[in-house]
Amino acid sequence: MPSAWLSTHLRAARPRVLAALNRVFGDIDLAEDAFQEASLRALKSWQPERMPDDPAAWLIVAGRNAAIDALRRKNRETLSPPEDMEPAFDGTHPEDSLSETLDRSVYRDDILRLLFTCCHPVLRRDQQIALSLKVVAGLSVEEIARAFLVQPKTMEQRITRAKKRLQAANLAFQDPDRAARAERFSAVANAIYLIFNEGYSASQGPDLIRETLCEEAIRLARLLVRLFPEEPELRGLLALCLIQHSRRRARLTGSGKAITLEDQNRNLWDRKLIAEGNILLEAALRSARPGPMQIEAAIAATHTQAASFEDTDWAEINRLYRALEHIRPSPVVALNRAVVLARLDGPEAALARLDLLGEPLERYGSYHAVRAWLLEELGRHGAAKVAYQAALKLAGTDVERDHIRLKLSELEGSPDSD
Amino acid sequence: MLFSVLIYASEDFIDALSPEEHSAILKKHGAFHEHTKTHGSFAAATKLMSTGTSVTLSRDSDDFVITDGPFAETKEQFMGFYLIDCATLEDAIEAVKLLPLDHGRIEIRPVDFFEGADFKNAERLVINAS
Repeated sequence: MPSAWLSTHLRAARPRVLAALNRVFGDIDLAEDAFQEASLRALKSWQPERMPDDPAAWLIVAGRNAAIDALRRKNRETLSPPEDMEPAFDGTHPEDSLSETLDRSVYRDDILRLLFTCCHPVLRRDQQIALSLKVVAGLSVEEIARAFLVQPKTMEQRITRAKKRLQAANLAFQDPDRAARAERFSAVANAIYLIFNEGYSASQGPDLIRETLCEEAIRLARLLVRLFPEEPELRGLLALCLIQHSRRRARLTGSGKAITLEDQNRNLWDRKLIAEGNILLEAALRSARPGPMQIEAAIAATHTQAASFEDTDWAEINRLYRALEHIRPSPVVALNRAVVLARLDGPEAALARLDLLGEPLERYGSYHAVRAWLLEELGRHGAAKVAYQAALKLAGTDVERDHIRLKLSELEGSPDSD
Repeated sequence: MLFSVLIYASEDFIDALSPEEHSAILKKHGAFHEHTKTHGSFAAATKLMSTGTSVTLSRDSDDFVITDGPFAETKEQFMGFYLIDCATLEDAIEAVKLLPLDHGRIEIRPVDFFEGADFKNAERLVINAS
């Protein structure tokens, strides 16, 4: 077997194996080391004709044994009594025997626990993303560092600090009740969407790495949907990611300039992803348990149903944003809704709405960009320029800055009706 | 005899494939298409969406029960199927040997009844999800 297949097997098994080892040892670092050791053993003993029936189960056993060996060795070195160093694990867990299939409910709990640990609210957002990519998706520190345009050393420190913070928080993960479980799903879904969005909206860094982030987020979302098909928000998350990702070929010009939804060539949208996203959303909505992910996916889906920008069903999108404002109010959602209202009721009405949002969104580049656009529509070019300049100062990426500069140059010399 | 060729694979594994590996798999499917079309045995090819999109219906006395997800929670998932019209099982097996078999499994099961487009005479018909 080419070794590439083998590394793909390891990549595929990683979330499940890491999740089990994390439960057994209650320590992410130890679980990662154990996985590493198990992978080395797999590279030595797996053959194309003699692949284990269940590679993940094989790796869990190998990883657990490796970690216990390591602890025993450490124990001998420090001369402390063996019992103290024996890791605490419940010997009745099903992967004790290779011949037994893994109990699915145990696996489900393991994965949820691992992901929730990596996305825990005690962690900062950037820590959540880094830890999820490193531990669950198995990206290397170098890859993650490249995606975030920081030095590998900086990323290493970020991950180490995140792990320390988790240890310090001394998290207890015993049997969440229904509400706590829903909270975990929500935290995990949000973190995965952050990963996706980082790849989707960060407009700097090598393209390939950005696409990797989107694809890893989709892979994690797929895994979760497979394990928890009954959770509509997870299906909503996957639907949202797939529909956004369907536009990846239409969003940038050949030279890397951003193309807005209005000007995208819709023939470049990936119809397969859109179809899957739409059916996932329909399946999710059947359960009548709406949530922010499902609503965001529905907004994205509504755009895909319009043959052209002019055909966009703004009334439906407005209804969806109103629902989103209701269940998850935020200034950013209100800003998005104002943009939709500009399409429905004209720029004047939208501008009035925007003025109410000035305070919370003062430091938010998009707020000024939207304001500038509305002012421009109203022919108030002087005020539009000021707003574009404010947006330029706050823009986070070169693509955004280029876009705003283009707008500013278009306004140059145009008469002001103010 | 019409045979169904039922393809099972681990979605975890499929999701982890690199683009190169993915195209290596597609290449084998391409060889299968070519072989069966040259021999006039090709009838239909169906690739299913991920199991995450599926719902399962059952009945509890008078009520329909619709559960989210596939019928069975297994290590390997049903990915899609071919229909091929072969004189013997041996011929069907020979054709299936062209498909990617390093990962996952492929079941061959004769078809008892089939009704569909006239695949022997009709123009090529391709329906993609959309």
